[in-house]
Amino acid sequence: MTITEAPQATRRLTTSKAMVEAIAQEMDRDPSVFYLGEDVGAYGGIFSSTTGLLERFGPQRIIDTPISETAFIGLGIGAAVEGMRPIVEVMFTDFMGVCLDQIYNHMAKIHFESGGNVKVPMVLTMAAGGGYSDGAQHSQCLWGTFAHLPGMKVVVPSTPADAKGLMTSAIRDDNPVVYIFHKGVMGLPWMVKNPRSIDEVPDGEHTVPIGEARVAREGSDVTVVTLSLSVHHALDVAESLAPQGIDVEVVDLRSLVPLDRDAIVASVAKTGRLVVVDEDYLSYGVSAEVVASVTDRDPTLLRVPPQRIAVPDVPIPYAHDLEHAVLPRHDRIERAVRTAMGR
Amino acid sequence: MTDVLFPALSEENPDAEGVLATWFVTEGSAVTADQLLAEVQVDKVSAEVLAPSAGVVHLLVEEEAAVPQGTPVARIE
Amino acid sequence: MTTEAASTSIPQQSRRGEVPEAAVRLGLYRTMVLSRTYEEAILREYHADKGPGFDIGKGLVPGEMHLSAGQEPVAAGVCAHLTTDDAVTATHRPHHLAVAHGVDLRKMTAEIFGRETGLGRGRGGHMHLFDPATHFSCSGIIAEGYPPALGQAFAFQRQGTDRIAVAVTGEGAANQGAFHESLNLAARWSLPVVFVVEDNDWGISVPRDAATAIGSNADRAAAYGIPGERVENDVEAVYDAARRAVARARAGDGPSLIEVHTLRMWGHFEGDAQGYRTDLADVAERDPIPRYEEVLRKAGVLDDEKVAQAKADASRRVEDAVEFARSSAIPDPADATAYVFTEGALR
Repeated sequence: MTITEAPQATRRLTTSKAMVEAIAQEMDRDPSVFYLGEDVGAYGGIFSSTTGLLERFGPQRIIDTPISETAFIGLGIGAAVEGMRPIVEVMFTDFMGVCLDQIYNHMAKIHFESGGNVKVPMVLTMAAGGGYSDGAQHSQCLWGTFAHLPGMKVVVPSTPADAKGLMTSAIRDDNPVVYIFHKGVMGLPWMVKNPRSIDEVPDGEHTVPIGEARVAREGSDVTVVTLSLSVHHALDVAESLAPQGIDVEVVDLRSLVPLDRDAIVASVAKTGRLVVVDEDYLSYGVSAEVVASVTDRDPTLLRVPPQRIAVPDVPIPYAHDLEHAVLPRHDRIERAVRTAMGR
Repeated sequence: MTDVLFPALSEENPDAEGVLATWFVTEGSAVTADQLLAEVQVDKVSAEVLAPSAGVVHLLVEEEAAVPQGTPVARIE
Repeated sequence: MTTEAASTSIPQQSRRGEVPEAAVRLGLYRTMVLSRTYEEAILREYHADKGPGFDIGKGLVPGEMHLSAGQEPVAAGVCAHLTTDDAVTATHRPHHLAVAHGVDLRKMTAEIFGRETGLGRGRGGHMHLFDPATHFSCSGIIAEGYPPALGQAFAFQRQGTDRIAVAVTGEGAANQGAFHESLNLAARWSLPVVFVVEDNDWGISVPRDAATAIGSNADRAAAYGIPGERVENDVEAVYDAARRAVARARAGDGPSLIEVHTLRMWGHFEGDAQGYRTDLADVAERDPIPRYEEVLRKAGVLDDEKVAQAKADASRRVEDAVEFARSSAIPDPADATAYVFTEGALR
């Protein structure tokens, strides 16, 4: 966690409350910031992304939309072009299909196509991830797809403090920033309890630089590069393997665009062993990009073949046991670490 | 000494039990007035419990415990 | 650099169907002549070096080219009611609207020629013209220019102004989801938008009747609770309908839809042989500019001298723009990956 000044007072919050706090602070600071999406008003966001904000800021700034993603994302784009700073929510990353043109052909390209003359300072927030039997159309991560398409920054916080810090940075950034939060890190009372979803969050102004990874746990034997909820699982595995003499370093990417390739390479240079854990689909995505970050630079850094633990190239199944067989959870992570260690 | 009560969330069923879902503070920590202490749930409705005053908080129930509405869940001295 | 504003100071008329003042009529004619002259120059430059045969990627102006000859009445009639503070979003066929709205001809032409001095430093090209000075933009994705116009209108409204956004698409776009979402949202939120549909009868090669379930997209407006009007390719009919729609938006009474049954005189794109087209024989006589010229001559607004002057003025401005573009620098390939992100300091 980057601290911008002397150590600040902190208190514990869930990730969702930390995210809301960042939005509220920025809305206080800048009257051009507003939030729109489905059920973000009275409901407070289906995944608690805007809890309490309607009461505080009113319906002119916390706005419920019709089910018209193309129209309201486009509205965000036009408002951003004319000097406002919208935060637009797409309820699930899985819904990108109905509105992808506004996102990747417009929001992401206008700055470039205008030779830098037009800016689109907007944030696109989205909930992602599975593990609670929501089926193939409501459990995807898809951050690799957004990262693959040029012109938008992509951030994926795993901790409450980073959720606040990255949201603040995303709002202040003059570029379009896609902010993806895994439902499992939010600390929602109606999902399985996750102790890592509650943690210290700095009071007051708190920013985390976009494009900078964080070493969540230092180690010397094997590097696990990961993001989002998988950071929690990697830390759990690291803690259980430590007494067995396997010292795991966990690198939390935090951002996919820009990708902190230097941090990835630095860690692998130290340990020589790489396991990538990604809840997005295996092929043509984030995990391959992380491996390529090392091999493009110096493949001899790797003492053993790198491993990628991701969702295989299948739609995510509904039945609990099937779903958990494809998710990159503790058992698969531990097996990969042991394979890397040769034990 | 101030009691912190489990809030009444269900008007239709005042005797319904809820759950203390999450503690945001630890036993014996110093808290300020209005600081977030806990999140509780009755059926699908959740609510925040804020500290009524400043002081040192003592937790009376565990996380995930079933708690009747109106019962003290913590004390602040 | 200032541009000769195309009809931005025309006085408004107040009653439906009333014939505009002579100054207005002359302005409409001159705007259409400027637009046509521009397209003829682009046509010339585009085809000059594509041969032998036709290699689309070759020459000074490579790529697709979608020219607006025949559709000038839409641009002139609508933009006469706008200032450069109003926003216009257009399509893959944007030039007439850009010209009528007052986009700098030199910068626009340089962009079409892919030069560093272009609106987008050569990064966007003819379908992706962005001019912050006039709040003009266009997109090559059918119907997707409507949603950002909503946002511009939203911002203008929030900023406490009576500025509006005009969103233009073709009749084929009226069957795309973005069209319907945009009309509903603009209506629901009472946004200051004027939706314009250019029905030129052809969605590339597919006639409107084969694609659209109803006879007029103006009738679709009722589905969203907003006024809809369909007019023929007559610049004064467009001017009249646009006057009402623009006034409505500026007064805070919400969006309207205008459909213009216009004319695509040339191909969908340059290089389009139009073998599918059944109405080519009629095109010349339906050309809106000679028709309007005749009307104005009869009304005493135009004579030989004024016609010649309009054409000479247009030609001078257009050739100046073309020459500026031709003599401008080609972008440096070393900068090919620049401008993806703005790297200004965080606020």
